Amino acid sequence: MRQRYALLLCSLVGLASCVGIIGDSGDERAAAAAFAPAEPTLHRLTRPQLQNAWLDLFGHPLAVPGDLPVDDVLYGFSSISASRSTIAPVDAEKYEKATYEVLDQVFADPARRDALVGCPVTAVGEPCVKDFIASFTTRAWRRPASEEEVASLQVLSADVATDLVDAAQGLKFALAAVLLSPHFLFRVEVGEPADAGYRYTSWEMASRLSFLLLDAPPDETLREAARRGELATAEGVRAQASRLLDDPRARVTLTRFFRDFMNIGKLDALDKQPEKFPQLSATLGPSMRVEMERMFENIVFEKEGDFRDMFTTRDTYVNEELARVYGIEGVTGPEWMPVTLPDDGQRAGILTTPGFLALNAHKTQTSPTHRGRFVRLNLFCQDIPPPPPGINTTLPEPEPDKPTTLRQRLDEHRTNAECAGCHERMDPIGFAFEKFDAIGAYREVDENGLPVDSSTEVDGHAVAGPIDMAELVASLPEVGACIARRFYEHAGAHLAGKGDKNSVEELVTDFVASDYRFKDLVLALVTNDGYRYASKPSQEEVKP
Amino acid sequence: MSARKIERPSRRLFLRGLLGGAAVAVGLPIFEMMLNDHGEAFADGEAIPTRFGLWFFGNGVHLPSWTPPTVGPDWTVPEDFALSQLLPYREYVSVISGLSVKSPRHPHHSGMSAVCSGGPHLKIDDVRDTIVSTMKYPSVDQVAAQYFQSLAPNPYKSLEAAVTRFRGTDEGTSFQYLSHNGSTSGETNVNPSEESPHAFFDRLFNKGAGSPQVDRARASVLDAVSGQIKTLQGRLGAKDKQRLEQHLTSISEIESRLNVPIGECNKPSDPGAFPDLASNEQIAEKNKAMSDLMALALSCGLTRSFSILYSTCGSGAVFWMVGATDGQHYMNHTEPAPYTKQKDAVRFTMSQLAYFLDRLKNTPDATGNLLDHSSIFVCTEHTEGWTHSQDDLPMLLCGKGGGRLRGNYHYRQDGGNASRALMTALRGAGLPLTEFGHEEGYVKDPIVELEAT
Repeated sequence: MRQRYALLLCSLVGLASCVGIIGDSGDERAAAAAFAPAEPTLHRLTRPQLQNAWLDLFGHPLAVPGDLPVDDVLYGFSSISASRSTIAPVDAEKYEKATYEVLDQVFADPARRDALVGCPVTAVGEPCVKDFIASFTTRAWRRPASEEEVASLQVLSADVATDLVDAAQGLKFALAAVLLSPHFLFRVEVGEPADAGYRYTSWEMASRLSFLLLDAPPDETLREAARRGELATAEGVRAQASRLLDDPRARVTLTRFFRDFMNIGKLDALDKQPEKFPQLSATLGPSMRVEMERMFENIVFEKEGDFRDMFTTRDTYVNEELARVYGIEGVTGPEWMPVTLPDDGQRAGILTTPGFLALNAHKTQTSPTHRGRFVRLNLFCQDIPPPPPGINTTLPEPEPDKPTTLRQRLDEHRTNAECAGCHERMDPIGFAFEKFDAIGAYREVDENGLPVDSSTEVDGHAVAGPIDMAELVASLPEVGACIARRFYEHAGAHLAGKGDKNSVEELVTDFVASDYRFKDLVLALVTNDGYRYASKPSQEEVKP
Repeated sequence: MSARKIERPSRRLFLRGLLGGAAVAVGLPIFEMMLNDHGEAFADGEAIPTRFGLWFFGNGVHLPSWTPPTVGPDWTVPEDFALSQLLPYREYVSVISGLSVKSPRHPHHSGMSAVCSGGPHLKIDDVRDTIVSTMKYPSVDQVAAQYFQSLAPNPYKSLEAAVTRFRGTDEGTSFQYLSHNGSTSGETNVNPSEESPHAFFDRLFNKGAGSPQVDRARASVLDAVSGQIKTLQGRLGAKDKQRLEQHLTSISEIESRLNVPIGECNKPSDPGAFPDLASNEQIAEKNKAMSDLMALALSCGLTRSFSILYSTCGSGAVFWMVGATDGQHYMNHTEPAPYTKQKDAVRFTMSQLAYFLDRLKNTPDATGNLLDHSSIFVCTEHTEGWTHSQDDLPMLLCGKGGGRLRGNYHYRQDGGNASRALMTALRGAGLPLTEFGHEEGYVKDPIVELEAT
């Protein structure tokens, strides 16, 4: 079936044009041919990145402060928000408070403090302490600290030591100036002039790679590679990225990308009506998320398989509460166990997981619109404009003696010309999943006892039900292209625009050529010019 | 407050913040008007500082049970109307109806920016059709805050609290936050609202006293960091430079508190956390705790400008107490006429506003109470959620503004510019504005009917 659909759609050559990047019209395509990567930007460390950076500097045990600014999401990714956000007054307060909480733990124990520094901190003027400030700053700022920078930190430590009559306190406050610095709280990337324009420096690439793959600062091997300038070439970058992909933390970090990609972090606050769904518990939402993440890990890291199998696999993991939603018997306790779902035509892959189905539904009711919208937006990378203002969006209420299915009522949207344009694109996809209720449990009849119809038609393809829909999604070239594009956007922390067109097309081609192996997508991305190069930062006055 | 010497940097900040490098809808001469020839604050004879507040609730109202039937003084409504909850305070409450969003319309986004900032929303990254927005111009609480800081620094330039927990995550900062600093180039520059009463208490009232030496050490660190930021700015593009300006401002705010001792505030008790009971959010309890803390913070001079995000634009908060089982946004789009649950939910929301107003009214403030010396603008991004309509916007102006506001009046102008209400609210807090708003939201005519004569 996969092949049948693939033939009907875009040829491989034109893949990226399926992705819907602006600039698809003839004129714009010609104009977009020029390679114009994004300007470099400051990337504010996310909460896990900041916490890992503290742990990297101080090691365990460390009670890592949790009261930190929230990681917002823009266009699906916290990475994109981190490249746009500013530090509000209340954020600066939180950073300051947390930084002293960290430092106070280390400095409360003289033995630990001296072990960190490498000598007893008796006077801040000691060469050993001075050297420590330099090496600590280099590590914290992820690039060599200049002599001037180190000298000013030494002056600060001496002044405070004198005022507080305490050398160790002098050092502590100097370290605070390192940890509250924009060089620590942000990944500072400027780039340098290079052959094909502006290229990220070896030190900047070390951080780009490490935070992208591990959510942590560069380790000693990466720093050494940066020192030697090895990350200015694609080969050098590829070698280090291959090494990092084998780090167990890469699995955690790339799974976090998948969490953003599927928007399933929201499952941790699953909000459904308990009266209607007796299967609910406080941990059901997180369990739904974990199941989906395990599917991703299984296909990407264990099987190292074709990413599109995510949509068709019947192999998954359940614990007792999730098994109840699936209707699988004999699973007890919170432990996860692998299961292969029955070949009964009901479920296959990520789009029939309770997590996907519950997230894209309301508190009591399903939402074919939301399920379809997610697939269009996030898996096809297509856009759905919002309803025009002034339109009454309330669905017609069924007459009391004539109950109708949600699907029948949604048909109203599609007979109304003003609504049809968009709902025609969303609802039919969602109808394929109508046999799963608002928490993803299977049903043959709806809340009114009416039989549910899950046959539908999507972009000219007849779809018999959820399995058919899953197969269709797996077969569409748009989907692989969309995943590559979304990873590109996450990694570069900006939406792919005209100047990225060639880079994205190249990445998609590489992904296809690797038979959709996600790890190969990662390697193709980090060596992609769109990831390694930048445009010269504009100094023009910013206009709103 | 007597006229004080203007601090040059903060006055510059005010101008920069308000104009934001943007189309200058508010001209410099107005601000020069605030000052006399000696660079001192505009002497308006005000003895007690007026506070400014922005109180926002999401998703509009149920219009047939909102608008008072008659215009003019002494408004009243039938008991089943939402505003009946405010009748006991109507001496302090004026109702504004009929005004419209004038900037290009878009469900939620345009209304949110128009009623909070007087300007259009800014779509971030014009690459996809999907709209993700932030406010292009500062929200009015920040306009007031900049002005107040230019007169005399307060320990906190502004304070931001929230009541309900729900935050949109898919459509940008407009759906998550209330207080915005404006955006010149698609950066997101917000003042996040604290939603946990415990955390708000902890931040404002539960600080250990630092020794002068430790405060000096902290100040040295912040100085060093400011120096690092300025040096770094020289190597960056214009957009990142702009982002770091906010970082500088945020650090200087902490520093200013180290330099200026915070006045005496009686430490309240920790309100604690408010976990859901039977999966129901404890909205009334949280509103009470936040209202109490905000009234105290205003009373003891921690700030003169505040915002309360009762619920977000497009909020999915569940008003279970009126029988709702789904989030309000979804309920708005599915509940059939006559929209009974929405009607009841708005009525409940007004009872929560009533608690806050009551708290202010019962907090003594010099010769009167806090509500006497406040100008609080209450608004929502839509007229009614099910149509996303942005005409006949529901708006309230609460407080006497230190004698500047009349109260107890229903003003209506069909199709008038929404910014007129914002301008009037700011004037009510003492900002000597003769024009306000941005682009299509630019106006020169305040609602004089609501001002005291």
